[in-house]
Amino acid sequence: MTEYIIRRTLQAVPLLFIISIILFVLMSNMGDPLATLGGRQPPRGEDRLRLERQLGLDQPFYIQYIYWLVGNDWRMVDTTGDGVPNAYGTRRGILRGDWGTSLVTRRPVLEMIGERLPNTLLLMGTVQVVVILVSLGIGIYAALRQYSLVDNVVTTGAFIGFSMPIFWLALMLMYIFAVNFKRWGLPYFPTVGMYDPMVGKTVPQVLWHMVLPVTSLSLISIAVYSRYIRASMLDVINQDYMRTARSKGLAERAILWQHALKNASLPLVTLVGLDLPLLLAGAVVTERIFAWPGMGRLFLDHVERIDTPVLMGILMLVSLAVVVFQLLTDIVYTWLDPRIRYR
Amino acid sequence: MSSSRPKPRTRALIVALVFALLVAACAPAAAPEAAAPQSTAPSLATITFVQEPDTLNLMYTTMWFVGLLNELWLVGLWNFDDNLAPVPQLAREIPSAANGGISADGRVITVHLREDALWSDGTPLTAADFVFTYEMILAENNTVITRNPYDPFVESVVAENDHTLVITFKEPYAPWLSSIFPYVLPKHVLEPVFQAEGTLDNAAWNRAPTVGVGPYVFSQWESGSHILFTRNPNHWQPANIERIFIRITPDDAAQIAAIKAGDTDIGVFLSFADAPELEALGTVRVVTTPSGFMEGWFFNFGENGHPALKDVNVRRALAYAFNRDQINQDLLLGLTQPPASPWDLSPYASPDVKPWPYDPDKAAQLLDEAGWVVGADGIREKDGQKLILRYVTNMRRLRLDTQVVVQDMYRALGIGVELINHPSDVFFGGYAAGGVIATGQYDIAEWSSQPDAFPDPNSTRWMCREIPGPDNPVGGNWSFYCNPELDALFDLQAATVDTAARIAIFGEIQKIMMDDMVWLGVWQDNDVWSVANRLQNVRLSGADPFWNIAEWTIR
Repeated sequence: MTEYIIRRTLQAVPLLFIISIILFVLMSNMGDPLATLGGRQPPRGEDRLRLERQLGLDQPFYIQYIYWLVGNDWRMVDTTGDGVPNAYGTRRGILRGDWGTSLVTRRPVLEMIGERLPNTLLLMGTVQVVVILVSLGIGIYAALRQYSLVDNVVTTGAFIGFSMPIFWLALMLMYIFAVNFKRWGLPYFPTVGMYDPMVGKTVPQVLWHMVLPVTSLSLISIAVYSRYIRASMLDVINQDYMRTARSKGLAERAILWQHALKNASLPLVTLVGLDLPLLLAGAVVTERIFAWPGMGRLFLDHVERIDTPVLMGILMLVSLAVVVFQLLTDIVYTWLDPRIRYR
Repeated sequence: MSSSRPKPRTRALIVALVFALLVAACAPAAAPEAAAPQSTAPSLATITFVQEPDTLNLMYTTMWFVGLLNELWLVGLWNFDDNLAPVPQLAREIPSAANGGISADGRVITVHLREDALWSDGTPLTAADFVFTYEMILAENNTVITRNPYDPFVESVVAENDHTLVITFKEPYAPWLSSIFPYVLPKHVLEPVFQAEGTLDNAAWNRAPTVGVGPYVFSQWESGSHILFTRNPNHWQPANIERIFIRITPDDAAQIAAIKAGDTDIGVFLSFADAPELEALGTVRVVTTPSGFMEGWFFNFGENGHPALKDVNVRRALAYAFNRDQINQDLLLGLTQPPASPWDLSPYASPDVKPWPYDPDKAAQLLDEAGWVVGADGIREKDGQKLILRYVTNMRRLRLDTQVVVQDMYRALGIGVELINHPSDVFFGGYAAGGVIATGQYDIAEWSSQPDAFPDPNSTRWMCREIPGPDNPVGGNWSFYCNPELDALFDLQAATVDTAARIAIFGEIQKIMMDDMVWLGVWQDNDVWSVANRLQNVRLSGADPFWNIAEWTIR
């Protein structure tokens, strides 16, 4: 197993390297980051030229990538604009912990990500917990009572939930529980933000502001997860070893949790393993609609400005998470099903 | 026997992790003071922003929203009121020839600073702060957004004494009033940072400027959520309202919802289409301010442009055939007019220059006379070439709608129009980056332009030496228009410090541009605001909108 983990880790290195090249190529072809610089019209030509040089955008694509990767403090660069390299660069590159500086804010990328990541982890982590718990309950219940009224209702609800676009659901929830409830004089949920700045960033405030975005994100995922769990449970509960467990006189509760659910969990673990990396990426649409200051919104705001260092930082973080969580998923498989062995 | 339930230690770990996340997410942002309520609620005005500022340091951005905030916490030598007249801020008076502030040759500007101006931490503001600002703008390691006008126009900035600042230009420079020192940096705060780091790019002050010199002082910035300013007790004119709260909303719809719900006092950068609905609320008033931006058509005079555009009568026909009044009435709800020139609504607008009228018959006649006759397919042609024009702009909704209307209008006259749209970062991309207009990939380009340093009228946008090319990738004349007579007039106005003489020169410039149909105005791209009725004495300016924020009151 240890050998397997080491091998997978080593395999991840070239994989991440290739991903970074592909992403950098895509970023480099998105447009001109200095087109408007956030202003309402193009900048002065002389300023554009100087900024290109100062920000390293005048270099060929492959040089920009090398600087991003390993920095430029080993190479003389032109800091005066006379075309003659006169001083060593100051960048250390992502391999040495320097994630670069935002072209938009001039702030270190890591600092910007660090500011938003806890917000996203809180939102998406809560969603993941809610989704797993609720969909487990629904999925198991529906499987144990196959074709019952509850099962049919759950199945129908799942298909409706599965088909709903998140932006529509989020706006509907906002319209009903925030706008209309306020109009009708009922207790209403806040529409945007993470807390009421006039009250302050308190735990109750944050929890209250999480209700609508968590509900929007959860409803759709619950629909998907519960379908998988139901199907997987149905598969397992008709297996021979379940009958054996019952004949041994085990309690129904123990049979359900230790024999049925554990063996039915493999698809769920796969799903969770695929979804967990997205905890870091945030929910682009939902964060935008509810003005949640998370990674998704950071990504969207900086895509519009072609802020390559920030975008690369976010995307590489997500790529790294995908690799790590895939490995963890594989390890969890062996715990859930001892028959699985990796060589 | 193994158990599927988490062990107590694991459970405790999970609970601790969730708690840690909650606490981490709830940790205050880099804030010297919290936004907690006080027992007696301080007065507060809320302003919504649909874009989050990149930074608060104007040295690093041209973002319009950052410029708005500058009037709150930093200010400059002077700002411009709702009549676009200069109002002294850190300067004691506006320099003029009469008060000895402008030298006889127009090159030297002497500014006397207020002696009661203090930084918010109590440190006196001196001329040394301005010299430091000048040095920082020119410092090679600072990736400042623009060095204009210090490079290339300024020869020196000298502190004659603590309260006298002398700015010497290499040549007389007419736009000095609207371009020198709209902001100043606190030397006592930032000089140590520059000495330690060699740059101000990463200074914490850029994002959390706890020391300022405006009527308000920065208090808190929660990324993606809000920015809070509190009254500066050391300002010479204490503000009436105690706190200004900038609410960052994700989009226009959220801003409109906030205005309707009464959650904001000032709505910013609104769409013209929202104005009637907001006015009908009865709780806000809608205000438009001339910002110097004029939406217009830039014809491509370069080699990539359609050959028909080389003929002035074809360009005039395009103007006659374009019912711009209809655009202003139908798409902009009659809140704007077609501008006669890029200097419309300013003191430099010539009264002799009027917008071209809508006259489709005249347009057809001019096109016929120019040899562009209607072909079998209904499209005009000459020497086998069809009159089909590439009409290019970015993705702004209003522009997309205008394109469709124009296509319809021109089809009736046998003028084909190919509609092309690009994202702003491609449309406005530089010459070297292959930007659409910079490299002339259009026949008609529509966008909103402003003079170089509004409210000053100076512009280099139509000068021959600004035509971009491999040898001049920084050129800003993306029309590729060249007229030596016009160049001479632009050069002359830039060096003419006398306002009356300058107005006369601009009269000539506008006449040439009108006769030669160099630029066709579509609408005055004014800024639209909503102001809550409870907020009084708000006099928004087109140049420095919040110039009198210290005087605002809450009813």
